[in-house]
Amino acid sequence: MTHDAVLLLSIIILLTPLLSFLINVFFGGKLGKISGIIGTSILGIDFVMAIVVAFTKLVTYPDIHTIQTRFEWISLGPIKVVIGYGIDNIAAMMLIVVTLISFLVHLFSTEYMSDDRRYPKFYAYLGLFTFSMLGIVIANNFLLMYMFWELVGISSYLLIGFWYEKNSASNAGKKAFITNRIGDLGFFTGIMILYMTYGTFMFDEVFAGISSGVMPFNSPTFLTLAGIGIFLGAMGKSAQWPLHVWLPDAMEGPTPVSALIHAATMVAAGVYLVAKVFAMFTADALTFIAAIGTITAFVSATIAITQVDFKKVLAYSTVSQLGFMIMSLGVGGYTNGFFHLVTHAWFKAALFLAAGSVIHAMHHAMHHMHDHHTDPQDINNMGGLRKTMPWTYRTFLFVTLALSGVPLTSGFLSKDGLLAGTLAYANLTGGWHWIIPVMGFAAAGMTAFYMFRLTIVAFHGEPKTKIASHTHENKSVILIPLIVLSVLSLWFFYSPTPIDGSKGWVHRLVVQPASAVPAAYQWSFLLPEHAGEASPAMHAEGEGHEAAATEELHHEAQPAAHATTHAYLNKFQEESHHFHYIAMFLSVLIAGGAIGLAFMIYQYKVISADKLEARLKFLHTFSLNKWYFDELYQATVIAGTVALSKMLSWFDTYIVDGLVNLSAYITRGFSFITGLFDNHVIDGAVNLIANTTGFVGARLRKVQTGHIQTYLVFVLVGLLVLLYYFSINF
Amino acid sequence: MMDLNYITEDLIKSVGQFLPETALIITFLVAMMADILFKRSKHLTGYIAMAGLVIAGFLLYHQTGVNFKGFANMLVIDAFGQFMKYIVLLSSLIIIIFSFYSDELHAAHSRLGEYYTLIIGMTFGMMLLVGSSNLIMIYLAIETMSISSYILAGYTKEVKRASEASLKYVIFGAVSSGIMVYGISIMFGLTGSLNLFDINQYLASHQVDHLPLLISGLLIVAGFGYKISAVPFHFWTPDVYEGAPITITAYLSVASKAAGFAVMLRFFKTTFFGADQLLDGTWHLLGSINWHYVVAALAILTMTLGNLVALWQSNMKRMLAYSSIAHAGYLLMAVSVMNDGGVSAVLIYFFFYMLMNLGAFFVVQLVSNKLHTEDIEAYSGLGYRSPLIGVALTIFLISLTGLPPTAGFIGKLYVFTSVIDAGYYWLAVVGVLNSVVSLYYYVKVIRNMYLRDIESKEDKLVFSPSAIVIVFVLAVPTLIFGMYFTPIVEWANFSMNIFIGN
Amino acid sequence: MVTEFGIILLYFILGFLFVGIALVMAALIRPSHPNPIKNSTYECGEIPIGEPWIRFNVRFYVIALVFLLFDVEVVFLLPWAIVFKQLGWFAFIEMIIFVVILLVGLAYVWGKGDLDWEKPKPYIAKLEDLVLGKKKQ
Repeated sequence: MTHDAVLLLSIIILLTPLLSFLINVFFGGKLGKISGIIGTSILGIDFVMAIVVAFTKLVTYPDIHTIQTRFEWISLGPIKVVIGYGIDNIAAMMLIVVTLISFLVHLFSTEYMSDDRRYPKFYAYLGLFTFSMLGIVIANNFLLMYMFWELVGISSYLLIGFWYEKNSASNAGKKAFITNRIGDLGFFTGIMILYMTYGTFMFDEVFAGISSGVMPFNSPTFLTLAGIGIFLGAMGKSAQWPLHVWLPDAMEGPTPVSALIHAATMVAAGVYLVAKVFAMFTADALTFIAAIGTITAFVSATIAITQVDFKKVLAYSTVSQLGFMIMSLGVGGYTNGFFHLVTHAWFKAALFLAAGSVIHAMHHAMHHMHDHHTDPQDINNMGGLRKTMPWTYRTFLFVTLALSGVPLTSGFLSKDGLLAGTLAYANLTGGWHWIIPVMGFAAAGMTAFYMFRLTIVAFHGEPKTKIASHTHENKSVILIPLIVLSVLSLWFFYSPTPIDGSKGWVHRLVVQPASAVPAAYQWSFLLPEHAGEASPAMHAEGEGHEAAATEELHHEAQPAAHATTHAYLNKFQEESHHFHYIAMFLSVLIAGGAIGLAFMIYQYKVISADKLEARLKFLHTFSLNKWYFDELYQATVIAGTVALSKMLSWFDTYIVDGLVNLSAYITRGFSFITGLFDNHVIDGAVNLIANTTGFVGARLRKVQTGHIQTYLVFVLVGLLVLLYYFSINF
Repeated sequence: MMDLNYITEDLIKSVGQFLPETALIITFLVAMMADILFKRSKHLTGYIAMAGLVIAGFLLYHQTGVNFKGFANMLVIDAFGQFMKYIVLLSSLIIIIFSFYSDELHAAHSRLGEYYTLIIGMTFGMMLLVGSSNLIMIYLAIETMSISSYILAGYTKEVKRASEASLKYVIFGAVSSGIMVYGISIMFGLTGSLNLFDINQYLASHQVDHLPLLISGLLIVAGFGYKISAVPFHFWTPDVYEGAPITITAYLSVASKAAGFAVMLRFFKTTFFGADQLLDGTWHLLGSINWHYVVAALAILTMTLGNLVALWQSNMKRMLAYSSIAHAGYLLMAVSVMNDGGVSAVLIYFFFYMLMNLGAFFVVQLVSNKLHTEDIEAYSGLGYRSPLIGVALTIFLISLTGLPPTAGFIGKLYVFTSVIDAGYYWLAVVGVLNSVVSLYYYVKVIRNMYLRDIESKEDKLVFSPSAIVIVFVLAVPTLIFGMYFTPIVEWANFSMNIFIGN
Repeated sequence: MVTEFGIILLYFILGFLFVGIALVMAALIRPSHPNPIKNSTYECGEIPIGEPWIRFNVRFYVIALVFLLFDVEVVFLLPWAIVFKQLGWFAFIEMIIFVVILLVGLAYVWGKGDLDWEKPKPYIAKLEDLVLGKKKQ
């Protein structure tokens, strides 16, 4: 395929879900159940096209950074806005992720949502969401990115609040939207800083501007600020601390929606954005990003341990994993971060769909038993589902292993590389930066622990309620997506060896872009290495890696990289390779320990969970209440806003009004006098203007008498007046 | 006889560049014969006419990039003319499609063949007018299109107001042509030529008296003013627009205006363009008359009167008639700056105006088919009785008002930009004030559609799917061009150079 | 050799002869039965003497209009004939096209029945026809 064909096909991929939206929104009422079939098949076609595009890009043109097009959108004198779209390697991979998961969610929903009376509308929203998400994927400029970013915000609002009859659902939709808006404010500010400086929205032009040494307001601080602003947008969408509060609430939406937007697509958009504009972050901005990612990963992992709502555990787990990705990008592990995004997308979508399967089964059992009070999502009402829902259990267990980072899974490959990166980073920078790997490993351990807690409590043991014992395995429409997604979490899709992700194709194709920031403002270890500085240690590495690394060099456009004597792009990669085995050892140890602990507590009850809870009462409550973030915001931001508004209102009522009243008393005296003048002169003038328009119109209307004779007279008179006027004046 | 051979060669060469018009003549003849031979087939001539227009458009496409003076400098082929001819052809095509849906035309008529044939005749006249560079040619072209339009306006002769409209149109047209011919004769007396290029040469090398030149120029402009319904030559417009079949009203409001504006711009540029032109695209006008102010005065009069009187209309067609007068005023603003930017603004505006105005008229026609009235009151609750049509009409009206995100906004934006660039801030202020006034009467219709008489909404109006498709074929571009308009702007910028010979 | 004016003189003489001979021959050949109607002035079928404020039959004008149209357009043939020799094939084809257009026009008029001299159908006026056109505002 030629470049033009790739571009044409990508725009078709973008617009196809929109077609699904239009069909379902306009004809949904008539289509009824058929709308699901239409939506699903449209997405199926879209997925096939995405595969074609992605393979063309990844196999035929892996070396071309971006196949892109640009065109002038607005040109008003000096103001020119150029936009466009393009496919680079990460966009190609994201196309597959988005379309496949969207397709599977469409398929899953045909059964899951079949009882809903707004069924066609659901498919319409899914189509709109997929469209906006694909727009983010193929945008190659800030402007389009921002537009689709907002579209994603709107469509996710519609999906989260889909059951708007439930107060909590509509509140969750609002919360998600507003929290995202806070982040978007930063995003917008960042974009505006860049546009004012470089006069363009295109990524590559902005990067070129930065690398030419032009700084916003002549200060690298503002470049950092622009970077942090854009990252704020990413924080909103990717639910990074402290803007993470919306995601757990968003679990009020239908579960397939959670699988689509809270596992793989919308929340990944933030990570994707950071990856796309990675070249513009200064060292300071990257440190900020790393810190936020680490805090998010750690905090949400601690919260996930105590949650009892099936979906909430998964939600906090998602936040935590997103924190990992952001952390990895922040420490300079670009490839690892993106790799984790892809692998996480598969197994987290699988986890959510499995949750959907369980909830669906619980619902059916409740319906069967005429029980409408039990919470179908509370894991303490489950138990023993392993026997009643064997396929759901198997897939769930497998993807739990993947998420916990157990070898032979994709999660192991990506998380291991990611943690090795944090160790390398800490080693290269030293000092307090060691906190990052420590918290990272801790969070990884907690991940394994809470996931197995969830698995054991929900699936193992005896049924805790009658409902749980009456559940049945779901139809194959629900199971197929689960199986497909869990198969995709096997290691061999990504790497020939189950222990080292960096030997796989992802590392070959997703190459860290050279930073556009002048060398003085970026981490020295991320600078491309020069030939003379090659360390002898790297020659000891295996031949396979040598080959892969030369490939990397081949992709890299930097002239310095053409040197042949060394295999690493920069010190960071060299260092993270050294830490690879340490990280692998540590993470296997920690995950294994955490899994063992979970089994001891919840399966074999060697350690009593209740006693542990009682002993760690404070920590437990703190975690159960999600570190009181909602309460904190209630007490600070919301209460602050309310207080401020009350204060302003008080100020208004007493001070301003008082002054106004005072002046009013004074003026009243005058006004009594001027009132007369006013009534008769000023009002008269205002009314005159208002009425004149109408009056003149009404008079002019009278000119149109309907008699051709008068018309002609008017024409002649008009002509003479014009003649007279212009012969006198000009 | 050397001279004769030269003329013959010129003729043969010119015929080669006359293909689109030739195609229209052939279409005209074929349609006429088909009308006699196949009396029973209702739409045959319509289809022939459409085919002819498409072929003419195709041939026109082949003239891209040609700059040519032919037929002894009587006709000019250039990019500017090409743009306007596209608009003429496109709107003719759209009008013929509209006519297939018109109940009033089909009510009791076996003469539809003539109708389509005359549309082709009128199109031919307009194509000639767009390219004319000789005063006699201009006059002939105006007459060719006018005579067809007189008949078309009174086509439904059983309807009294249609015959009345037609008769008024004839008389008014005759007087206007008379005024124009008077101006032409004075011009001939002053400069000794009818050819615009020769007049230009003469003006460049001789001193011409101020008053006669003003009189002749103003009288000629009066002839154009009648075609574009500029105040005070607009009086026929409301009566004819109200009386004529809706299709013809729409046609007159777009195509014949396009031709009028084209010939006006060509007349000003070719006649008064000084060779010592400034580099920024401003035309340096010959003669002592400040045509900027003459046209600006016409513009102000036209848009103000159009908007003020439109406020009071209760008939949709009549309201749109006054609105089209107001739009002529906005366009005249861009003409008055008399530079290439202004020409480009006129072209951009015209393209968008064609979409939105034809769309609005088509909706009026569809509604009138169902409700047998054009009263604005009858639009109450239309937004609920037929949601799709309601949405489309809303788009068209918002676009006519000139609010974003519609094409009308972009058109106005470029017009105002060209006026401000030329330094006529006062003119821009008047234009903006007028836009504000226009908001009132357009929104009145929207308010009627959505906020009034909602109890009658259960009484659904069902339109044929193909009609709705056509409405949206016009409405969707109106929206899309409001957001992505660069291609049209680039096309207009490519076409803004009126060919004035070398 | 005659001068240019001589040619015109010859033209005049030939003209007079042509008309004179025709009149004289006709007077010799025709039968003579005069009556008042025959002796009255011919005015296209209308009564030549009387009130001028009468309704003329509209059919006259249709025919007259059509005639005038063709008549005026045929005038174009004259300048063409003069330069035909120099212009050659181009002029020939051009004129054929012109004549074909005229023929199509003739066919159209014929086909539409505008050349038929039909009896007018009486039209009884209704009341509303007498009311003047509604006043426009």
